[in-house]
Amino acid sequence: MTTIIETKKKVQLEIDGKTVLAPEGATILEAARAVGVRIPTLCYHEALSPIGSCRVCVVEVEGVDRPATACNTQALDGMRVVTRSERLFNLRREVIRMILAHHPLNCSPCPKNGDCELQDIAYEYDLAPNDFGSYSIKTEEYPWKEFSTPILDYHPRRCVLCGRCVKVCKEIRGLGAITMAGPGALASIQPALADPESPSRCVSCGECMRVCPVNAIEERMGGGKGKPWETEKTATTCAYCGVGCSLELNVVNGKVVGVTTDDAAGVNKGRLCSKGRFGYAFIHSGERLGKPLMRNEKGELEETTWTKALTKVAREFRRTLAEHGPDSIAGLSSARCTNEENYLFQRFIRQAIGSNNVDHCARL
Amino acid sequence: MAKVILGSWRDDVTDNRGLKKSAIPEAFKGLKEFESGNDILAFMGWDGFFLFDRDAPVVDMARAYVEKAQEESCGYCTPCRVGTKVVAEKLAALADGHGRREDIDAIRSMAAVIRDASMCELGHTSMTALLKMMELMPEAFEEAVAGRGPVKRGNYRAMATAPCIEACPAHLDIPEYVDAIRSGNYYESLAIIGRKNPLAGVCGRVCVRPCEFVCRREELDEAISIKHLKRFVNDQIVSYVSARSKPLEEIPSASGKNAAIIGAGPCGLTAAFYLKRKGHEVHIFEDLREPGGMSAVGIPDYRLPRDVISSEVRRISEIGVKFHYGKRLGRDLSLSQLETEYDSVLISVGAHGSKSVGMEGEDANPEGYVAGVTFLRDLNLLHHIGEFKPPVGTRVVVVGGGNVAMDCARSAIRLGYSKVSVVYRRTQKEMPADHEEIEGAMEEGVEFLFLTHPVRIDAEAGKVKGITCVKMDLGEPDASGRRRPVEVKGSDFFIECDIVIPAIGQSSDFSFLSSGSGIETTKWGTIAVDDNTMMTGRDRVFAGGDCVSGPAALIDAMGHGLRVAHCMDQRMRGEKMSMPEAERMFRLLKTMSLPQAPVNRLGNKARCRLEMRPARERTSDFVEIERGLKPDEAIREAERCLRCYRIALFATEE
Repeated sequence: MTTIIETKKKVQLEIDGKTVLAPEGATILEAARAVGVRIPTLCYHEALSPIGSCRVCVVEVEGVDRPATACNTQALDGMRVVTRSERLFNLRREVIRMILAHHPLNCSPCPKNGDCELQDIAYEYDLAPNDFGSYSIKTEEYPWKEFSTPILDYHPRRCVLCGRCVKVCKEIRGLGAITMAGPGALASIQPALADPESPSRCVSCGECMRVCPVNAIEERMGGGKGKPWETEKTATTCAYCGVGCSLELNVVNGKVVGVTTDDAAGVNKGRLCSKGRFGYAFIHSGERLGKPLMRNEKGELEETTWTKALTKVAREFRRTLAEHGPDSIAGLSSARCTNEENYLFQRFIRQAIGSNNVDHCARL
Repeated sequence: MAKVILGSWRDDVTDNRGLKKSAIPEAFKGLKEFESGNDILAFMGWDGFFLFDRDAPVVDMARAYVEKAQEESCGYCTPCRVGTKVVAEKLAALADGHGRREDIDAIRSMAAVIRDASMCELGHTSMTALLKMMELMPEAFEEAVAGRGPVKRGNYRAMATAPCIEACPAHLDIPEYVDAIRSGNYYESLAIIGRKNPLAGVCGRVCVRPCEFVCRREELDEAISIKHLKRFVNDQIVSYVSARSKPLEEIPSASGKNAAIIGAGPCGLTAAFYLKRKGHEVHIFEDLREPGGMSAVGIPDYRLPRDVISSEVRRISEIGVKFHYGKRLGRDLSLSQLETEYDSVLISVGAHGSKSVGMEGEDANPEGYVAGVTFLRDLNLLHHIGEFKPPVGTRVVVVGGGNVAMDCARSAIRLGYSKVSVVYRRTQKEMPADHEEIEGAMEEGVEFLFLTHPVRIDAEAGKVKGITCVKMDLGEPDASGRRRPVEVKGSDFFIECDIVIPAIGQSSDFSFLSSGSGIETTKWGTIAVDDNTMMTGRDRVFAGGDCVSGPAALIDAMGHGLRVAHCMDQRMRGEKMSMPEAERMFRLLKTMSLPQAPVNRLGNKARCRLEMRPARERTSDFVEIERGLKPDEAIREAERCLRCYRIALFATEE
């Protein structure tokens, strides 16, 4: 059977004098990127639908006095767009100044220092701390609320209210566990309630933290363990379940201090669950088994060698097989093993032992 | 009449400070006082400002205005969230006498950024008046930074409004609840609706939606489907709450006062809900055996299923409102008895009588001649229990062009009559019925005879045999702006039929009012009430709904319910009665009817259409026709809202 793919209708517009042929329904930002015109953004995130809250991506469209936000304005046929002008530069600069008027400027203690999108854009627009006065909202004035999960800390002063966290929770996780609540300059990110009696819908996945451009949402188990430039990132596969999400172990001085993801990598495209993202503390736990243990005559566990331990296991299997037959033995393997390991394991139980009693804990 | 000293609206400047006199804008011909004895000194709005008094506190007023804008800012976009805060603080410093000259420039440049870069209309409009004042009266701001101490302070009444909020008789905060849907907070959205409207499921289905007719999105593409969004959020939460089947908590009657409400229609239910929430004991007396008034017995189930009304009424009774069915004023109850037993009484009996068409043979009341309201009432009360006896015959003629006529015609189709016709004396364009209703009726096979006026019912042996009509022509426009139909001489023709249903209007039955009761009726057959307090000529007796306004829309009756509850509460607490301040402001704004600049934005998003059951399938039953929005459709629709919030501020003498 052949499938006919209908070519999507195209619209033709002009961006900074360049002619662009964009698919119908594309935004100005998408059309601009397609021809290599860069429009600065802050709240925009590729994995999410446009938010349009920061107003940094303003552009001018011929025939409309008010600047439009490129991220959420549809590119229309015959549109003429200007992305660079003195007016736009000033507007963007003023908007970033407004964000900075609220955001703490002592970057050095911040773990995001050096990997911060706000820092980057402030640098691009040549803004230094003495360029703006702040306004007087004290931290204690914020309607402080416990965040949706104890695993995360929320810093209302650092927060730039871009709204990415709210979007990711709704669009990617499908939960809508957090919301932005005003009034005005006191707006902050707060847990959303399904109704006044329902508990938080949060599942502690940390997706909100992942998309936060400024570290306003921070992992409680982290902090102070290394700066972005000291961190070595090792790409690996999550060992928790069979999905096989790609992740990066953040290693500082040979120690895993956190988990990040690459938005483009793997089957998960940057997403993780709470185990993949926060379940790394076991790596350096003193309680991990490092050597095989075997019970002595008194029934106490005692350190031993692999040879001795495996010999004992093999002997006990043979004895059980001889006395009770193969059906008396069952195998249960782990979802944390790889596919290949699990394959070998079932071959072993079926062929070496001769039993069909083999299963797998895929519900870890 | 207020005299404008200085003002500007959409860059149209009126300046009477010097010798040269400008004309006084029409808008202020009826404006003088905020309330009796309290003059308006100045007004600040979305496209400008007006000073009516030379001593109006300009700088302090600007401060109050921007502080209100900051309070109303939702915090979503940067310029409005941060900018209005900074500008408000700088203006406060100016008003306190701590301001510096450079603050004035900072205010001006930041205000321009807020105006140009904000997301919604609140940010787009909240700086217009301030910028214009700084342009026309720079000296007022210069003086504030001259080191002469604090500026003159004033009294202000400010509120955030929007065209849709102003158009809604209950003044629902539409952008706010639409916004909550956009963010996926359905519970919060329904709570916002519930502040003004306890019948979201009913309104979400049958409201005539004055809000949508003023929606400014229409300028870009199409108006927002506000009604469908209301239904969506109601149905989402109702199914969620009823799945847990947990009743609402009863509100204690803490005030020690009690109120009697006659009639469980939209006005009575709304008033009952809010009076109960204010802590009064509330009893509703209803003639029929079920609640809802006209919304229950005047609207067929295919438009408004009865379980929607009953679930909303259940919520009202759960909070502790007591319902007494089968009680009719004048038959089972008397006004004087209620006055003795209750601290206040509300008459909201509706308009359940039918107006006659004025055709020959009507008074003989032949068999087959059934008033529209009677037909619908019997159908609604009896059909679902299988006891409805439809008028005998095969051909039906409905007279009228409103929603009641459509309800009668479409119900008749569903009852299986072989031919159903509507006669209306003007054209389809002038029909007061919703166009969806007209189109729906056409799809279902209702025949429309426009420019046709019935003059005589032809009966034989006390039974309808047909109806004689004349053709009409449209003449000059009348007071309502619609062209008046004029009879075409000698154009009589006869339509053979067995049933004639007149549906051209309703009237109230006031037989319970004895002369000397102190309650007056008007020449339009309605109860006269004080416009300010909704009280009748008799102390502690109030009236609202169709029996005061004449037959009107559901939402009009609910608006009455809200207002009357406010004044009944004041009366029972022994306070001075007055209309809510917001209502007063809405009226002032209506008097001024100031235009708003065109929406200066890009749009290209069509409105969500509701899925309907196909005509072939739906004409054989009374099951609801419209299917509600799906969550993704609702969110997409909510995202289309431009949030046309705008701040209005009156500076008053006291």
